[in-house]
Amino acid sequence: MINLYFRKLTNILLCICLCFFMLLLTGCWDRTEINDLALVLGTGIDKTDDNKIQLSVQLSIPKAMGGTQQGTGGGGSGKPTIVKKATGSTIYDAMSRLQEKVSRKIFWGHNRVVIFGEALAKDGIRKDIDFFARHPEPRLRAYTFVSTGKAIDILEVIPELERSSAEIARELANFKIGMSVTVKDLLQMLNSGADSAALPWLEINPTEGLRVNGTAVFKKDKMKGSINDKLTRGLLWLRDDVHLATVTIEPKNTKGSISFNLLRSKTKLVPKIVDGKWQMIAKITTEDDAVENDTALNLMDPKIVKDLEKQLAQRINQRIRMTLNLVQKDMRIDVFGFGEAFHRKYPNEWEKVKGHWSEKFPEIEVKIDSKAHIRRPGMSTEPQGIPKNEVKK
Amino acid sequence: MIEKSRISSFQMAIMMYPTILATAILLVPSITGKFAERDMWLSPILASSIGFLNVFLAVQLNKLYPKMTLIEYSEKIIGLIPGKILGFAYLFFYLQTNGIVFREYGEFVVGNFLSKTPMIVVIGSMALVCAFSVRGGAEVIARSAQIFVPLVVILLLFIFILLVPDLEPKNMFPIMDKGIMPSFMGSVVPASWFSEYTLIAFLLPFLHDRGKGLKWGFISVFTVMITMVVTNMSALFLFGSITDSFTYPVMSAARYIDVADFLQHLESIVMAIWVAGTFVKISVFYYALVLGTAQWLNMSDYRTLVLPLGFLLVIFSLWTAPNLIEMVHYLTTTWVFNALTMQVAIPILLLILGKIRRKRGTKVGSTRND
Amino acid sequence: MLKRSWRKSEKGRKMQKTEYEKKEQDSLSNSFNNNVQNLRDIYKNCSDVVFRPFFIAGKGKAILVYIEGLANTEEIDDNVLSPLMQESTEYDDIKTLLKKRIAVSNVKELATFSDCVDQISIGNPVILIDGRATGFSLDLSKWEQRSVEEPSAEQVIRGPREGFIETLQVNSSMLRRKIRSPEFKMQAMEVGRYTKTKVIIAYMDGIVNKTLLEEVNNRLKRIDIDGVLESGIIEEFIEDNPYSPFPQLLTTERPDVAAANLLEGRVVIMVDGTPFVMIAPTTLYSFFQSNEDYYSRFLIASLIRWLRYFLVVMSLLLPSLYVAVLTFHQEMLPTTLIISVAASREQVPFPALVEALIMEITFEALREAGLRLPKQVGSAVSIVGALVIGESAVQAGIISAPMVIVVSFTGIASFTIPRYSAAIAIRMLRFPMIFLAGTLGLLGIMLGIITIIVHLCTLRSFGVPYLSPMAPMNASGMKDVLIRAPWWSLRTRPHFTGGYNRYRQPPDQKPGPKKGKEK
Repeated sequence: MINLYFRKLTNILLCICLCFFMLLLTGCWDRTEINDLALVLGTGIDKTDDNKIQLSVQLSIPKAMGGTQQGTGGGGSGKPTIVKKATGSTIYDAMSRLQEKVSRKIFWGHNRVVIFGEALAKDGIRKDIDFFARHPEPRLRAYTFVSTGKAIDILEVIPELERSSAEIARELANFKIGMSVTVKDLLQMLNSGADSAALPWLEINPTEGLRVNGTAVFKKDKMKGSINDKLTRGLLWLRDDVHLATVTIEPKNTKGSISFNLLRSKTKLVPKIVDGKWQMIAKITTEDDAVENDTALNLMDPKIVKDLEKQLAQRINQRIRMTLNLVQKDMRIDVFGFGEAFHRKYPNEWEKVKGHWSEKFPEIEVKIDSKAHIRRPGMSTEPQGIPKNEVKK
Repeated sequence: MIEKSRISSFQMAIMMYPTILATAILLVPSITGKFAERDMWLSPILASSIGFLNVFLAVQLNKLYPKMTLIEYSEKIIGLIPGKILGFAYLFFYLQTNGIVFREYGEFVVGNFLSKTPMIVVIGSMALVCAFSVRGGAEVIARSAQIFVPLVVILLLFIFILLVPDLEPKNMFPIMDKGIMPSFMGSVVPASWFSEYTLIAFLLPFLHDRGKGLKWGFISVFTVMITMVVTNMSALFLFGSITDSFTYPVMSAARYIDVADFLQHLESIVMAIWVAGTFVKISVFYYALVLGTAQWLNMSDYRTLVLPLGFLLVIFSLWTAPNLIEMVHYLTTTWVFNALTMQVAIPILLLILGKIRRKRGTKVGSTRND
Repeated sequence: MLKRSWRKSEKGRKMQKTEYEKKEQDSLSNSFNNNVQNLRDIYKNCSDVVFRPFFIAGKGKAILVYIEGLANTEEIDDNVLSPLMQESTEYDDIKTLLKKRIAVSNVKELATFSDCVDQISIGNPVILIDGRATGFSLDLSKWEQRSVEEPSAEQVIRGPREGFIETLQVNSSMLRRKIRSPEFKMQAMEVGRYTKTKVIIAYMDGIVNKTLLEEVNNRLKRIDIDGVLESGIIEEFIEDNPYSPFPQLLTTERPDVAAANLLEGRVVIMVDGTPFVMIAPTTLYSFFQSNEDYYSRFLIASLIRWLRYFLVVMSLLLPSLYVAVLTFHQEMLPTTLIISVAASREQVPFPALVEALIMEITFEALREAGLRLPKQVGSAVSIVGALVIGESAVQAGIISAPMVIVVSFTGIASFTIPRYSAAIAIRMLRFPMIFLAGTLGLLGIMLGIITIIVHLCTLRSFGVPYLSPMAPMNASGMKDVLIRAPWWSLRTRPHFTGGYNRYRQPPDQKPGPKKGKEK
């Protein structure tokens, strides 16, 4: 009896259910056609004079970017991107202002680049980075930069090789010649005990277009200064971030120079506390191939290669020393991750100095122990283009 | 018996895997991370002890009353009226818990993907699909689990492997710099998830190879533990100290994947396959609830209860909490005590009472067949 | 509720017997005239039934009844009529006379009219003789039949090229030629009140599961319908879940497929009048396996199997995935790809969902049109179709080019499924999936997949879980599902419910250099 009653009830419920799901078809709550989207390719964030945020976005114009689409009328003409800007007190606030000007829904899913203007960077970037970690659309893998002058100027650059300037910035970061920092990395840097960050420094060269030139160094979330390209190399060596590098040395006792292509390198930071003295030993090993040799040195001679290896290591040491002098001694900002290293090895001691790390940091004695290995002389043995008898043995 | 189909203990193990894991990789890593920080990968190992205990308890109780579920033998052990009251408490607990699971699922989908879709549509459609499988009985849930679980495992492996280039194992150190306490604290919430292994009390009577129940139960707990360690580790290795600042760290990790500029933004696929795991989880809870209710009411068939209880579940899921914040707060505080009392303390008491009863029963010499 | 209203009408289910059926039940009488009259009444207005009265020399009146076109008249003249009409006094008894004089291999004695009717209807001439209460049927049937050809729906590159035809005797003989053991059994029965179609249940004694055989028998016996014109009609009566879109019986036109399935312990149901035989029980995977998988090298066969599984998934999901990605998950595609897709859609007036539906329906229409039309017109349809759904729709800006690619790939993918019945089920399910994708995105697709899989989990084919050996899992069965393991390692037959004859061959037959030297 009860079962019969329940069966009836079940059937009625089933009918209601089905009706309910008929309604499903009418509602497409989150559906957006691809033609109603404006894809954000790059974002620039600047400070306005009245302490608000000026948000500029680089939007793609699919009509112009689509390449050769038949019959749709003159593809490829016109700019492939457009830059729009708006101001507001937060990024999202600025975005909603921006939306008033853009006929399509602004879509952050393809934003790959976030550029902070110099003025904003000096003022602090923490409050602006939150949006990129909280909103579900933007990506944690977007690369972050600091630009000379205003970020919007970078976005407005019309590129020659790529489709958009944001694409250039992304590809440059991908190469990892300089620093390459994603939103996630930035969040981690800001969160770590060292209270510092380093972002690649993007500048516009009037003749050459965009260029990554050095690194902006942050204390907490405020930019304190920048270091140039050469010093950035030193920074990269210490951070174990060297991926694409050529090292050119001018060997002693001979004219000309030799270029090496870096195959792989490994940096190990070994913290040590000896009698209350804080030491950091950076152990660097690199493997290189020779790619160019305009000296008269025979690269097949083990003795010469041994010598060159030493000079190569010295060269790296020099670079690192230069960087340390500026960043550790003058700026007193720990962008190398020394703090983390000490934290990992000496958690108790770290606990004590955590509060005044910026005072302790410059006192750390850094020992650099670099080893270079030249693996191959390239495709040639002896120097090319000179007579045999001039080759130095 | 009310359920006619039979499953194997291997199928039971495979059903329980997503039953614990599906929601345990959402909010739990973040909650664990808050307490345990760098030691968050240790917490699941500690927490799994509760899982092993629960499997042991359920199997022992099942040995006393081989063909009965939790609802039925609690009546036998503590008498009809108290048993009914306890049974009702259990049913209510599972109703509420399943409501929470539904809500977690809904919150996750709406919060990350379909922000404008009404919650009731997301939850309701899932409820209907689950009702469909629960009507099919334990056998159908077990078989669909066998199809989906390999998918979920492959998915987790896939996330882990694609993340390898970005992982930094040094984020793990220093291990236990503040002692074992933080990881112990962090293990409390996962432990309440592991205590859901009590659900096997509803499946054990239907095993055709009951002798292997304990073995496969333990294997299941172990694999869940390993999986949680691995997912926690991958989140930790990727995010380091900021792991706990994400609501769904594993999901955020999946979003970070980028291989060759082509395999990127995989979170939607990850979500879709994860939904399959959640489906198994909800179905198992749903099934226990429906079966338990039918037994509590002494009905001969449970199928008629499926839809009405489904409606109740959807409503419970909407009532559970006003927002995600409250829900996380509930999960870290009240829920832990609730779950551990219902799923650990009471089964222990039942087992002790049952053993005593069995001893007395044999002394008096009364013959009783279960 | 539906079920109860059915039950009410159950009383009316027993159908009235026809006048003919009543007559047929009578047995033959001694009166020759009565018998002839009765037969003439039964075959009233049947212009194709020939009554040929004649005299058996010295014995009396007789009549030969047969159907024109079904009986071999030449043989009747030479072997029946002429010897009987010749003067002869050697034999007194008619029976001996028939035995000695008529050179026909199979002569049956008939006692009732229904026996007579049965024999006449299958083409065997019947002789009624004055003064005898029994008739004799002579196995002299002959009718026009199609010659054995390669089945067009199941073509292979390597493998036997013969296919079943419409004649049951030929079909059963083809099977017998493949399996010569007497353990190969065929039980015959008749289905259809009017068509009286012969149905054969074929199985291997000792391999087949007895309960399965019984179940097949019971289900076939339950059928009570007017006529069986094709095995599909029987299929609908004996399948487990009539509401499922998935076929629960495998049909094939190839004797080698049927024989292979017999050896795996399955039951083959053959129906007269159709080249399609049915195989029970069936699992989902057998629809995605071609017989050629077992004849070609196992590595290649395994790879092709994987490709096929992938294409099955594609043919079900690709349009819906496209819709979901384009309208819900735009971040999933690489930036350059999304921009070029967006560019191609710039002029398209429809939402992606509608576009997908239009294209899928057009494609299905073309497929159907190409199938039904005469061959000569068919090629015209495909030319028009290629132009309509290809070039012009894109050029007119009505449909975007990527959509055309998606739909055509889906079409190709669905054609790779070896069994048409499964392909059409998957093609049908594509439409609800597109709708789900258009409302809930990938989540909708996943809910759809879950529903389909749960449905497949509940399905059984003659008591065997439809998804076995995947769910419930069976390791040795997976050897023939995930891959196609080499024959020497495929030791066990697929496991169905109940007891079974497990091993098909002894172990250690892997060929190797040492094996040859033994002995």
